Amino acid sequence: MYSVKMKLLPLAIASAILAGCGDATTNIVEKEPIVIPDPHPPVATVAKGRLLVSDKNSAVVSVYDLDRSELLEQFQLINTPDAVYPSPGQRYAFVVQRATDRVQLVDGGQWQEDHGDHLHPYSEQPKLMSFQLNGSRPTHVQSNSSTTAVFMDGDAASKTPAAVVTVNEANISADKKDLPLLQYDTHMHGAAQPRGDQLISTIRDAASSDILPDKVGLYSQTAGKFSLSQTFTPTCPRLHGSAQNKGFIGFGCADGMLMIAQSGTTYSATKIANAADITGTNRIGTVEGHDDAAHFVGLAGALVFAVDPKSNTMSKIDWQAPANAAIVGYGFTAKAKHFVLLDNQGYLTVLNYSGSAFTLAGKVQVASDVAAMPTGSSLQLSLAGSEYRAYVSNPVSKAVVAVDLAKLQVTSTLQLNYTPHKLSWLGISL
Amino acid sequence: MHYRNKIAMLVAATFSQQLWAQSVSGVVLDQKGQPIVGAEVSLAGSQVRVKTDAAGTFLLATPAGQLAELHVEAAQFAHRNLHLNVPEAGLNNVELRLAPTLLEVIDVKASPLHASATESALPVSVLSGEQLKMQQASTLGDTLKNQVGVHSNFYGSVASSPIIRGLDGPRVLITQNGLDAGDASRVGPDHSVASEAGTAEQIEVLRGPATLFYGSGAIGGVVNVVDERVPTRRDSRVNWQLERQSVNNEKLAAAAGQTSVGDVALYADGFWREQGNYKIPGVAETGSAEAAGGRVANTDSTGKGGTFGASYLLPNGFVGLSVGRLERQYGIPGHSHGGHEHEEDEAEANHAEERVFADLEQDRVQLHSQLNFSGGPLSQLNVKAGFTDYQHAEIEDGAIGTTFKNRSDEARLELLHREWLDWRGGLSLHYKHSDFAAVGDEAFTPPSTQEMLAVGWMEERHFGPLLLQTGARLERVTLKADQVLLPELAAHAHDGSEHDEHDHGGDQLIRTFAVDQNFKPYSLSAGLVWEYQDGYNAALSLSRSGRAPSAAELLSFGPHIGTNAYEIGALFRLNSTQDPHQAFALNKDPLDLEVSNNIDLTWRKYSGDVALVLNAFYNQVDNYYYQQNTGLFAEDGHDHAHNENEHADEAHDHSGELPVYLFRAADVNLHGFEAQLIWQFAPQWRWTQQVDYVRARLDGGGDLPRTPPLRLQSALSWQSAAFSAELRYSHYSKQDKVETLESATGSYNLLDANVSYYLDLFDQQLAVYLKGQNLTDEDARVHTSFLKDKAPLPGRSIGLGIRGEF
Repeated sequence: MYSVKMKLLPLAIASAILAGCGDATTNIVEKEPIVIPDPHPPVATVAKGRLLVSDKNSAVVSVYDLDRSELLEQFQLINTPDAVYPSPGQRYAFVVQRATDRVQLVDGGQWQEDHGDHLHPYSEQPKLMSFQLNGSRPTHVQSNSSTTAVFMDGDAASKTPAAVVTVNEANISADKKDLPLLQYDTHMHGAAQPRGDQLISTIRDAASSDILPDKVGLYSQTAGKFSLSQTFTPTCPRLHGSAQNKGFIGFGCADGMLMIAQSGTTYSATKIANAADITGTNRIGTVEGHDDAAHFVGLAGALVFAVDPKSNTMSKIDWQAPANAAIVGYGFTAKAKHFVLLDNQGYLTVLNYSGSAFTLAGKVQVASDVAAMPTGSSLQLSLAGSEYRAYVSNPVSKAVVAVDLAKLQVTSTLQLNYTPHKLSWLGISL
Repeated sequence: MHYRNKIAMLVAATFSQQLWAQSVSGVVLDQKGQPIVGAEVSLAGSQVRVKTDAAGTFLLATPAGQLAELHVEAAQFAHRNLHLNVPEAGLNNVELRLAPTLLEVIDVKASPLHASATESALPVSVLSGEQLKMQQASTLGDTLKNQVGVHSNFYGSVASSPIIRGLDGPRVLITQNGLDAGDASRVGPDHSVASEAGTAEQIEVLRGPATLFYGSGAIGGVVNVVDERVPTRRDSRVNWQLERQSVNNEKLAAAAGQTSVGDVALYADGFWREQGNYKIPGVAETGSAEAAGGRVANTDSTGKGGTFGASYLLPNGFVGLSVGRLERQYGIPGHSHGGHEHEEDEAEANHAEERVFADLEQDRVQLHSQLNFSGGPLSQLNVKAGFTDYQHAEIEDGAIGTTFKNRSDEARLELLHREWLDWRGGLSLHYKHSDFAAVGDEAFTPPSTQEMLAVGWMEERHFGPLLLQTGARLERVTLKADQVLLPELAAHAHDGSEHDEHDHGGDQLIRTFAVDQNFKPYSLSAGLVWEYQDGYNAALSLSRSGRAPSAAELLSFGPHIGTNAYEIGALFRLNSTQDPHQAFALNKDPLDLEVSNNIDLTWRKYSGDVALVLNAFYNQVDNYYYQQNTGLFAEDGHDHAHNENEHADEAHDHSGELPVYLFRAADVNLHGFEAQLIWQFAPQWRWTQQVDYVRARLDGGGDLPRTPPLRLQSALSWQSAAFSAELRYSHYSKQDKVETLESATGSYNLLDANVSYYLDLFDQQLAVYLKGQNLTDEDARVHTSFLKDKAPLPGRSIGLGIRGEF
């Protein structure tokens, strides 16, 4: 008998279970909430901001949420971008399509507004702006804390002269059409630095055989047009590279640096001679500055110099360059706490900046596959404004790595399914 | 026809004494006709078991005049079953020849239809005997880490648990003699498995879905720790072990013994284990500026436990009961709390190392019974029942932070029918109930009770060289939780310092829900083992397994320091409306069962001087529950615990924030392979080579985190009568198939070696051994570890031990 009973038991259980086999049902009843009078709710924050990455082989740009490490939106632009730059508040990206004479703008979707007693943060979906800039060969895009100057080089072949337009974030969101314009009468590969509603911009002799300018002038605005109001005396042969900080605007010249000091509404120029370390045809061709840094950083090939505009001196920074290194990315971090260099050997070098000196904090290897770098590609750097983190895109591994600059380590990898070209961090800065 | 009458007679007398009149005697020989000494000959369906003597002969009693099935096994020989029709006069001079094999052929107890690792459609491995004694470690994960297809989730040598083919946690069931370990180890990697390898007889690993036998928690595999706590033998024996390790000053003493008095078999074991913080060649925390060559804080542990068991041995089986207790205190490494250490004053600096540890206690009662029937439709009735009372408290600086409790009852009944049209098999009924609660700061999961009731059916049949194994199981899982909490969790658009100024203030409302979940997963499986040539077989296993998600995966809402994450269960989702106070809302979408569809292919060559086992698997899992990073951060809750004291003003220190992970279901696929080659290239020399690999990705793109890297292991061993030695090299490749926020892990190599010297002294077989681990002092980080950046593997360790058996 026992075995009969034993056999019935599983049958009974089986039939009870079988009903709705493979099912899942949920019954949830909400009860009275628990009230905790003393609130210290856990605060969640969206910290890391966003990253815009362009594709080397298409006109698609992608915006990623760095907190969730996920793709938020992709935009089809008109042409494959050559460069991307953030707007002064790092809300928008200027996506430069030089060969086709166009700059498009993408809204990263995160910004803050001054509400008097506090800055109110917003976080929305990224969008492609209808605002565009059209002009011949847009190249250098330079911003101060509120305004961006876009230098259009013009074109010798079609005899199109160079031009500069200035734009701020409000103009972009309002899709403003008539922007302040500096119209040159000749083409040049020049640079312009916005200062208030004035411009410090380059001057080239139309008769010169060199595409690079050799002088700098102050341009003032009347009725939306910039006109030359002062030409600075010291020349700056083969001018390339410019930057500004609170009190100075610096330009790279074949024979040193041209430094323009602003005192109220008056500007004066001096020349800083090349350091003895700069030999042969080498020269400072790239300059970087930051409002919180007293020094400029000048790059002459793989040599890096701290340029002090107050003492008019430049001194070499020993960044312990790896063998055969060429610098492919650079920049100051938020509050000018560090200066970061990315080289083509796959290392990110972090220099601490004390306000008086740059000292090597360390290096992080961000790529080990640089030997396979495709032609026309390089590692690219963008620095987060909200924290001490760098993002490096790697066209070989088709990935973006995040580097914690304090810990000097790669903290995460964002894998892409395309070859990254240029990138820019967007979001709310410290 | 003759024995049918006897069967009829015995039907009425199933529970009564059987008639034991006849005997079978014979000899066990190897292929060359040499006697095999110490081979175990047993009578299937009884507790009758004898060992062959120096001449290889045996003599055993069998029930009167009926079919008898003899089972013969001996170390390094393929085991053999022999069906005999024993006449009234008994049988003499039975000759049994065994073929040598290099593979372990130990009976796997985790499967109701006992089978050895060489005969199963699903890959199984068994760690037992000397191998187990040499590889036993303080955690189950580290004990099994050299098994093919198994990796450790290395939690600083204190709580490591095994990963089978890339799966762990709620997908790998840990059982003790076939019953759920009943601890909290499936809930968090920092919770130790409540089981001890030092007193285990064997540890079995079922790689791949084993829901058929064990239900939902076994979708990725089973680790079954087998000991003789419910004794089934009449002989007396004792084994003991003493060991000391240099890297963490580990000291181990373990002993187990059994005997019998009349028909009562008795068993007792005990162990004591103590280890300090372990030494490392480099630094503990990646990128830290501390001096290299220190120790990893909070990796010490002490454990002790004992078990007592007794069985009543019947002629046709046994009924036995055991009681056991396990106590363990272990540090919780990597458990730092929100920057407090920066503000230590002089007095505090003296004990700068914050002591965080867990205090675990477990009491376990198990009842096991096996009854064999020589007549009637049933051939065997197996009963296993267990009651486990588990708790562990996490203690920080002397104060209890969180207490986890799990009380569980489980019963399993297996009814095996008599062979019918050559089919062997039966039904299993399985019931499990657990009452889980976590109380304190890190009680990320609300109290819940889970009840599981299942019925399973398994059959197997030989068709010539083919063995077909089939099975199905229906399960009903009920999960009830009365107090599922949805606290306010503010979302903010940035990490600036300004955010504290708005959003705060007013009462906090915690929404509360009573949740009643019902799942009815089912599993189907079919396996085919084809012995196409002597010593070779090929196996195919197909299965479809359902899993009910666990309470932690559904109901969690809170900080979990073990994973360094704020965990939120699948019952919740991100709030679609921009509510600054509440980033999460109740998920109204249906919660689906996880379903794994698995194909396993095995090829084995198991006789001769070269043995080779190849396994390949493809596992498509629908609705795989995993933790997705939401990009949000939430406070770890520690500041609230110290509200009254000096920390009140740091309530918004970001160092006390954790990333918020939300459980959600997505389709994933896992595939990989394992290969093992054993080559006896000279009589005393053996070379073992094994490799395993798993790839785990989301179907929608992306990789699963903490997936084990490709691993290659090579061991050279030498054995003589008095000595044995082994040199093992393991290469763990780099793992760069990572989840978006996870970093890649570099490759590393480990070199281990051991030497044993055997001697007979004081009527005991003794072995003195020296074992060296990580001989090259490699600074290695384990990709599968939650503590990868906080706790590297221990440095070089030399261990000295002695063990004995009598």
